Amino acid sequence: MPGSTITEKIVSRAMGKKAKAGDLIEALPVDKLYFNEVIGPPAILNFEKDFEDVYTESGKKLQVFNPSRIAFMPDHTVPSCSIKVSQGIRLMSDFAKDQGIAMYKEGDGIEHTIASEEAFVLPGEIAVATDSHTCTQGALGSLAFGIGTTEGENLLATGELYSFTVPETINIKVNGKFQRGVYAKDLVLHVLGMMGEGGASKRVAEYTGPTIDSLDMEGRFTICNLSVEMSARTAIMNPDSRTFAYVNEALARRKLSMTDEMRGMVAKSDMDATFSKTVEVDASSIEPTVSLPHSPANAKPVSEVSDPINSVFLGSCANARESDLTIAAKILKGRKVSPNTNLLVIPASRRVYNWAMDNGLLKIFADAGANIESSNCGPCFGKHMGILAPGDRCLSTSNRNYKGRMGSPEAFIYLGSPAVAAATAVEGRIADPRKYLPAGES
Amino acid sequence: MQIRGKVAKKYDDDINTDYIIPAYLLQESWDKQFFADHAFESFDPTFGSVCRANKESIVVAANNFGCGSSREQAVYAIKYNNVVAVVAQSFPDIFFRNCLNNGLLPIQILDTSGISIGNELVVDLDARSLRDDTEGIAYPIIATDAAIEQMKRGGFLGIVRERLRQKLKAQQARASSQ
Repeated sequence: MPGSTITEKIVSRAMGKKAKAGDLIEALPVDKLYFNEVIGPPAILNFEKDFEDVYTESGKKLQVFNPSRIAFMPDHTVPSCSIKVSQGIRLMSDFAKDQGIAMYKEGDGIEHTIASEEAFVLPGEIAVATDSHTCTQGALGSLAFGIGTTEGENLLATGELYSFTVPETINIKVNGKFQRGVYAKDLVLHVLGMMGEGGASKRVAEYTGPTIDSLDMEGRFTICNLSVEMSARTAIMNPDSRTFAYVNEALARRKLSMTDEMRGMVAKSDMDATFSKTVEVDASSIEPTVSLPHSPANAKPVSEVSDPINSVFLGSCANARESDLTIAAKILKGRKVSPNTNLLVIPASRRVYNWAMDNGLLKIFADAGANIESSNCGPCFGKHMGILAPGDRCLSTSNRNYKGRMGSPEAFIYLGSPAVAAATAVEGRIADPRKYLPAGES
Repeated sequence: MQIRGKVAKKYDDDINTDYIIPAYLLQESWDKQFFADHAFESFDPTFGSVCRANKESIVVAANNFGCGSSREQAVYAIKYNNVVAVVAQSFPDIFFRNCLNNGLLPIQILDTSGISIGNELVVDLDARSLRDDTEGIAYPIIATDAAIEQMKRGGFLGIVRERLRQKLKAQQARASSQ
């Protein structure tokens, strides 16, 4: 009998019986569930509308399935930019208080960053949230994916996902050492270019190989984050010593430590696991990469592009952690942002923001002429903080450059790494970061 | 079970949910109809009026329809413009599940290139066939048994309510036996 993928093992553990790709699971119990303030409010209202009478019939008050497995993380449009947004946050906060659910504050961070930073999601767990970039948690070795509003309200009631088909897995095997100036973001944009926007549809993208093993956790989060742009069901990586070091640190910040129960959840793919396909990637052949308008899969080496850029966004759930800000600060130190360009820096969480302040990075950004905002999703989804006008050209470290994503449908969005973003901010056009890297910097 | 409709719109590959309903609108209403009024606002502004011109409209696309963001408002935007089904060569999972949860039929067939705007289509869920009455062609529907069941049922709400009832009953039984 062939071995199992990490995905099959996580589902098997949750079901208490062996599951394999293609199996239909009628009711899949979920370990963790989180909501942002975009979908949280309608999900709560629908939950009350659709289930209150069932609780009443049973002589009970409305009660979510398990408040300790749920978290609310207002992050998209915070600090709130409209009355309706504020009403939504108030609604979530009142509901959280009533139900005993953890409610984060505006500015605490982007949901997919704090979910791992706060050790809310752990290796081997099944985690779902009302946002497609929930796949970011796959870097922890958890099976995590986005859901819609209706599944969110159902999960509040029962903690279960209905009619779930165990997905097949594509093995994306990455070999080779990165060239100087190449990071996880360049790798994943390159992979999106190879696969296309629908290339991993219905399947889990499992990243394996020595290049992935050698990556730090932040790079792994970036890769998993963008994998939904090739329509993957989710992305996942096998947990290793770096994963556990990260999780232990996150737990320690909350004065917790890893328990036997947590260790028992951990899963890894067997050597002889069955993959629907294996895609080999040579990381050493990849140059610093950008995705051109209007598709994340429209990847090109940065050396072939020098389009003028008047807006640079360093932020989002894809690339605004410590290592991302560090490399950007190295390039921006002692330099000025181009007079033709606006640079916006938004750290991925309050913790990252405060760390950047304590370590002098915020001063480097401010001295260079950047605008720095408290942690939130920023202009990535076109609602606030740097909306693009017709004709604007933006280089963003986020994950989607669809037409109209950040404002006007007549604007142009390019995706790149924090290093490309910093070099581009300096030159006012898409720029190769390699010439700005300090000597000895990889 | 048969559902009829007229093809109102036809699209190419990779129509993402940002094109269907832009994110800046998502937090501005909790009313599903609001999203229908803004469907494809930046990408194809005639979507609403063209789809609403028929009592039952069908949207046809090539590959990977509904990719990107998980926003369920994309399904409301389509459905509440009199659209009964979306026919495409593939759907990403989140959008597919959001359709099932809202009674909008996500119909997968191998090749949609022969279907034109204005054609009269019939979705026959029992026969698992999509009939193009205008061209006189039938296409097999690619779907699991479970998906066909859910399409017939129009969503999961009934099942989830029953499941919750059982869970609450079991809780009560546990509490009273202690």
